[in-house]
Amino acid sequence: MQLMNYKTCVCNLCGTGCGQFLKTDGRQVFGVAPLIAHPVSKGKLCIRGWHANELLNTNERITQPMIRENGQLRPASYEEAIALVASRMQQFDGAKGEIGILASARSSNEDGYTLGRLAHEVFGTRLQGIGAEAGHRKSMASLEHAFGYPGAHGSLTSIDHADYILVVGTDITRQNPIIGGNIHAAQRRGARVVTLSSSRTQIAKLSTKHFQQKPGTKGLLVNALAKALLGIRTANRERKANIDQMPGYSDYVASLRSISSVALERASGIRYEEIEEEAKYLEQAKSIVILFSSGISGLDRPTIDAITNLALLTDRMDHEHSAVIPVAGISNLQGSFDMGVSGEPGNSVFKALASPDSAIRALFVIDHDDGIIRDRERIASLDFVVYSCAYKSAFMDLAHVVFPLPAFNETDGTYTASDRRVQITRKNVDNPHKVLPGWALFQKIAAAAGHQWGYANAADVFIELANNTPGYAGLSHQQLSQGFGQHWNPQAFPNSRRRKFNAINIEYWESPTTPEFPFALMIGKAQHYWHQNNLMRKTIVPRREYDQTLWLYPHGYIEISPDDATRLKVKDKWLVNVRSSIGTHMKIAVKISPDVQSGTAYIPYFIKNMISDFLLPYENAYAAGEESVIPIQIQE
Amino acid sequence: MSMYILSSDEISQLVTELQASYAVYGPQVEPQTRQVFFDLINDATALDLEAPIPSMPVKEILFPQMERILKYKYDAETQSVEMARQYFEQPKVLFGLRPCDLAGIQALDRFFLGQEFVDDVYLTHRRQCLLISNTCLHPFPQCFCVCTHSGPDADEGFDLDLTKLADGYLVKVGSEKGRALADAHNWTPAKPQQLSEQKAVVDKCIDLFPDMATDNKAWVSRVMNRITTGFIKSETWEYIGDQCLECGACSFVCPTCSCFNIEDAQTECGECERLRTRDSCSFEGYARMAGDHNPRQPVEDRRNKRFFCKLSYSQSKKYLRPGCVGCGRCQWVCPGDIGLPNVVQYIRREITGGEA
Ligand code: SF4
Ligand code: SF4
Ligand code: SF4
Ligand code: SF4
Repeated sequence: MQLMNYKTCVCNLCGTGCGQFLKTDGRQVFGVAPLIAHPVSKGKLCIRGWHANELLNTNERITQPMIRENGQLRPASYEEAIALVASRMQQFDGAKGEIGILASARSSNEDGYTLGRLAHEVFGTRLQGIGAEAGHRKSMASLEHAFGYPGAHGSLTSIDHADYILVVGTDITRQNPIIGGNIHAAQRRGARVVTLSSSRTQIAKLSTKHFQQKPGTKGLLVNALAKALLGIRTANRERKANIDQMPGYSDYVASLRSISSVALERASGIRYEEIEEEAKYLEQAKSIVILFSSGISGLDRPTIDAITNLALLTDRMDHEHSAVIPVAGISNLQGSFDMGVSGEPGNSVFKALASPDSAIRALFVIDHDDGIIRDRERIASLDFVVYSCAYKSAFMDLAHVVFPLPAFNETDGTYTASDRRVQITRKNVDNPHKVLPGWALFQKIAAAAGHQWGYANAADVFIELANNTPGYAGLSHQQLSQGFGQHWNPQAFPNSRRRKFNAINIEYWESPTTPEFPFALMIGKAQHYWHQNNLMRKTIVPRREYDQTLWLYPHGYIEISPDDATRLKVKDKWLVNVRSSIGTHMKIAVKISPDVQSGTAYIPYFIKNMISDFLLPYENAYAAGEESVIPIQIQE
Repeated sequence: MSMYILSSDEISQLVTELQASYAVYGPQVEPQTRQVFFDLINDATALDLEAPIPSMPVKEILFPQMERILKYKYDAETQSVEMARQYFEQPKVLFGLRPCDLAGIQALDRFFLGQEFVDDVYLTHRRQCLLISNTCLHPFPQCFCVCTHSGPDADEGFDLDLTKLADGYLVKVGSEKGRALADAHNWTPAKPQQLSEQKAVVDKCIDLFPDMATDNKAWVSRVMNRITTGFIKSETWEYIGDQCLECGACSFVCPTCSCFNIEDAQTECGECERLRTRDSCSFEGYARMAGDHNPRQPVEDRRNKRFFCKLSYSQSKKYLRPGCVGCGRCQWVCPGDIGLPNVVQYIRREITGGEA
């Protein structure tokens, strides 16, 4: 017998995919409860998951289609808006790159798949991309090369059993707190948890060992660990490993051998002996989990290659509790890649928008975060922009036609978490405004352009996508409803048993800092990880927490170490002048934190808007997160 | 105290009968996940009095996570405000409360009703509420009510109290309301030996508590003493604070946590609504005070506040009992490892210098 007021759901607020109950009478959502039996979250939720009810109660919803007329958006019927979109889109030539698609990493797989069909079959375009995809594409490419398929190797549940857990870079207790909690639990049960991070993050404090390397040298350090492991390996040749047969092995080993301990120490600040000590633990571990962040704050390709190579070199990747997981900050980043709407090189919508001479004239956008509307001017000058989202957002100002979408609990849909776990969320409240789910909206637009798809519901869409998406065969809504989803099957990829080393280059990163600009500024951690998100601003308590930071530091802050503060003779919240080596300048408050290294400075992600003039020339630095460093001087 | 003995069928009949004039809530098992909730009962057969402690506290019903308490609209022309409250009284029965949850309601009563200020929203939900408790026959994982004097049986605050014995449920009457209910029925009076059987059941349950819990019993008061006098090393608080992921879960699932937040939000048609949502002292913003000054800024200080609230004499005086009722839920939901029983352990370790 179903309960009256508690319905199961999958949290849609990051790529962990925690299980939750929503407390609802079928009309409104009143609260949240954790789901104890869920294999990953096991009855725990983070601040975002616990406040999903606030988001789902916001009045800032888009409730009906709208058409821009005389500069203003006015309500319209679905018929009118769909007919307009279909006829306007026919005036552009997709094949010539005139139509761009900007998909959302929060859309369900059903919506992602049908959006792909709409783009490819109806609009005839391949110019596409997913908000926040940049980092994830690198993860996918590296993993596909190493393991033969573009997705995580292994499961997040491995954290609960593995002997050894390596966390590279990510501030995981902020970005994916429940994964962070599971790692902490693993550490308590005796697993060796090692964090590589230039600042002393919470997970670094909770780790068995923290390597606090200098910025820009994570990849080098991972490679050094591989070299040390190789050293032990050669010494006791008792393993039957045939990793030396894998393509790329000899080049990889040659590169590793070329690492000089002196140069390593100079670049990273870490002694090779310390790494050799660490390698002993790694060698002894039978099951190894490596986690790194993927997506907007993801790592660069050489670092990811270092990680996947190390994983292969350990020769433990066939253990049932080993894993290599690109941890996504957004719920369905992995699924959106699987659905084929990411912008591969050559067809990237971001590139088209950024190049002044590209042919793009129309843009079809799903659920885009306010804070990261790039190339706003260009978008504003396009001939036709369509925006669809459940929630109001600044993107509406740029749109000629706006469509509402249901919230994630108002329709059936599947979502693929960071470790390829495909889970279903069932509609558990009414859809009072009769809002069409994404797939149904796209189907109608397709029909208006003369393409008949014939889906009766989301389960129908899933049947088709499962047939056409490698790894999804055999999954269905019905089967996903029993239990807590299922990982998609890597063996669907023909190369899934053929592992290969990525080619690496040993580079000793030279800090671009100079005596005149002695601080390495990075864009990184923040008290709470909101990924500039259109959603958390619509909650109550999490938003207040975000505002709390602004209360204390109304114009944002730059974090520096206590030693540097003493040297600069500044106190917490004092305003300082920050000047970059290429001449941009800002005045910003200081936040003194014992967790940052001397000589480094951090500004949190979310203040990008406030200091955009300063960061404008550093668009790439923003995308590269902690991997990119801006040399600055700080003066009182 | 009058006592009766009721068969399972009679219990079931009572539920059905009460449903005619009350909204009846009780423990039920969600079929897919086997998770227990104290939810509105549709069909009397769904009530499961043997189900483990509900995953969410019963305060869900009296002090919901989120509720609209007011709607108002300002008319600029007449310069008048139209207001309508959004919470309504409904007679209800909380059927089969675990004793710790009953103790939790008593603590909330003290907080919302027992001080200078009476909270009308809570009062409205709480009025016309029939409380029927249910003795625990064995503890569930993480239960430690034996340390906080709130279980495994209830000794006060109920209208009726149930204990499952060999021949049916022993029903104790605890109030006038309970009395009236009993008088309206022709229940079989209990025999004296059934009362001793009940005592034996409770003793057996106490024996079944894990050593850690019973062992902690003495420690809870020592720890309370330490917390009250502020005699705990800052490293211990820091160790605890480092593990806090600031999710708020411990407060949301705690039967006695009463923090809330008020937010006014504009609705579509120019109306405003006032929402009340649960809050937690683990959040930085909660402790914010005007004037750019947050007295409890480091996270370990905020944790400290919560344990002070649960385990200090001054707070106990306010609630007339310890602020913690020993349900163990905070231990379940904490993604760190600092549920209350663990914190007692950590402080205990500090006192003993690492042993035991
Ligand atoms: S960790 Fe992610 S999925 Fe889990 S509760 Fe938090 S936001 Fe939701
Ligand atoms: S502090 Fe924890 S154990 Fe104590 S009553 Fe609250 S939730 Fe239960
Ligand atoms: S804490 Fe005590 S009263 Fe509460 S459910 Fe457990 S045994 Fe029963
Ligand atoms: S449940 Fe644990 S992690 Fe969450 S706020 Fe409470 S103490 Fe902190």
